[in-house]
Amino acid sequence: MTEQAIIAIPSKGRLMEKAEELFADAGFIIERAGDARGYRGRLAGVGGVEVAFLSAGEIAHRLGDRSVHMGVTGIDLLREHIPDTDDKIDLVRRLDFGHADVVVAVPECWFDVDTMADLDEVSERFYERQKRRMRVATKYLNVTRRFFNRKGVTGYRTVDSLGATEGAPAAGVAELIVDITSTGSTLKANNLKILDDGLILRSEACLSVIKGDEIMAGPLRDVIAKLS
Amino acid sequence: MTGKSPEERLALDSQSAIMSGLFEGAGYRYIEPEILQPADVFLDRSGEDIRLRTFVFTDPEGNELCLRPDLTVPSCRYHLEHAAKVTEPAKYCYVGPAFRFQRGGATKLRPREFEQVGVENFGATDRERAEAETLSLAIDAVETAGLESYTVQVGDLGLFDAVLAGFEMPNRWRARLHQQFWRPQAFRDLLQQLSTAGGPAEGLAGELSGRDVTEARERVDALLTERAIPLVGGRTVEEIAERLHEKAADRVAEPLKPEMVEKIKGYLAVRGTPADALEEISKLELPGAALDRALDVFARRFVLLSEHGVDTSAFQFSAEFGYNLEYYTGHVFQIATEGGDGSVQLVGGGRYDRLMSDLGAGETIPAVGFAVHTERLAAITGSIRDD
Repeated sequence: MTEQAIIAIPSKGRLMEKAEELFADAGFIIERAGDARGYRGRLAGVGGVEVAFLSAGEIAHRLGDRSVHMGVTGIDLLREHIPDTDDKIDLVRRLDFGHADVVVAVPECWFDVDTMADLDEVSERFYERQKRRMRVATKYLNVTRRFFNRKGVTGYRTVDSLGATEGAPAAGVAELIVDITSTGSTLKANNLKILDDGLILRSEACLSVIKGDEIMAGPLRDVIAKLS
Repeated sequence: MTGKSPEERLALDSQSAIMSGLFEGAGYRYIEPEILQPADVFLDRSGEDIRLRTFVFTDPEGNELCLRPDLTVPSCRYHLEHAAKVTEPAKYCYVGPAFRFQRGGATKLRPREFEQVGVENFGATDRERAEAETLSLAIDAVETAGLESYTVQVGDLGLFDAVLAGFEMPNRWRARLHQQFWRPQAFRDLLQQLSTAGGPAEGLAGELSGRDVTEARERVDALLTERAIPLVGGRTVEEIAERLHEKAADRVAEPLKPEMVEKIKGYLAVRGTPADALEEISKLELPGAALDRALDVFARRFVLLSEHGVDTSAFQFSAEFGYNLEYYTGHVFQIATEGGDGSVQLVGGGRYDRLMSDLGAGETIPAVGFAVHTERLAAITGSIRDD
């Protein structure tokens, strides 16, 4: 690799601290360019490597379009933003942090709905009565479509959720949701329940690298060796 | 390669003109439905495949619009807006662009913007006659455009429904089987599940076993109050209670008998020429008067096609053949040919009797039509000439 290798680190919060710890434990000190708010940096003493501070979502995007080479982000975001994730990305290391599940949750008052098969049946009746599809509010449009397709549920529409997804059914902008949850308490507080077979994926923070021979031939090789 | 050269444009235009001229000659009125359509109509009514492949966007006032993925829904909307009396028979034809997202990028045979030429026939109460007429017209159109070798594949969703109607089972099960028809694996799983004894229902459904619907409703109401659960999600207490009641009843219902399962699977495995298919279906000795009627309809369609001078002896019937456009309700067909990488579908069509009422017609309006994928047809007839 002739150009600079770019490592993307979350730009704020606990995830940023965890990422910096991970690198520090392996003997890499992340130095920021300019003041502490800078969005560029480098690994002290390692040539040919640049560090970019980005949001976790942006990191997944940019691993997907290969404009960054290594990054710390959530498995949920990798699955959402990178089609055929396993063909494109290698997992270097789990951070044992940010554990959460992406799940299908429906209103608690749907006493007759416990499984995706129930949902499939209800979605068809919903359409027959209301002449419109049941709406699923989510930030995970791709993850949702793949999972529903695998479960044979087709009578739905996704609604892109920008804010608090769990509030969508109560607000009347969707009938159910696909969202991330760690303890389930937010769902419960919003009178939603997780379907018995509604666990889509288990997520946590991880360090990933894009696949490709040029990666192992470049300056990241030693970094990967020490981190994995 | 983007856009079309003057030569390509001319070839496509003249091909489309030949076909639309034929349709107009047969009494179909040439209309131009709008290219921009309200997104809801498509997203709510189309099958998953079309839904995921429709270009949707928001206009400056926040309305969700889409580029039409086909011309059937736009033609229906045109009819509902323009016809003096929507139930009166009307025949339309059209030539115009349609748009579909292509995963992994557009190609010559899978363009993301393409021109469809087609017809829609609304309100014809002699259904088989209208079906025979449109299919014969489709064959005429592609032959006139220069297509020499092709296969006609046919299916009939009415037959499938009639097969299910002949077997004793809760209506709910029939509805679920009908719905899973589009997904062969899910269908087999469901058959398996319905043929296994359920045992007593658990939870709330179990509690309601043996109670009537009114009691179920009272129980649901009481639970909502007791646990302070708000009623959200767009379904009424009645809907939830009714379905709970049905679930309770299902668990004690007799599972599907193995011979029923075998017969349903046997039907779905039927394929061959229409004559062979009819013979095979009769050998299965499927029960029910509904099936006899559906078979008469099926046979009559081919008799009428012969009257149009169509040789149906080489048609390929498949019981499993249906489109991934959930709005088809009966007769379905496609015309395909061998192209670069396997079979290329050139024409798709069939009956969709529920679409007009779904779009707000107020009553059922018989509807049948088809669309020709003109770029593919031009590529195929062009390549044949090049050889």
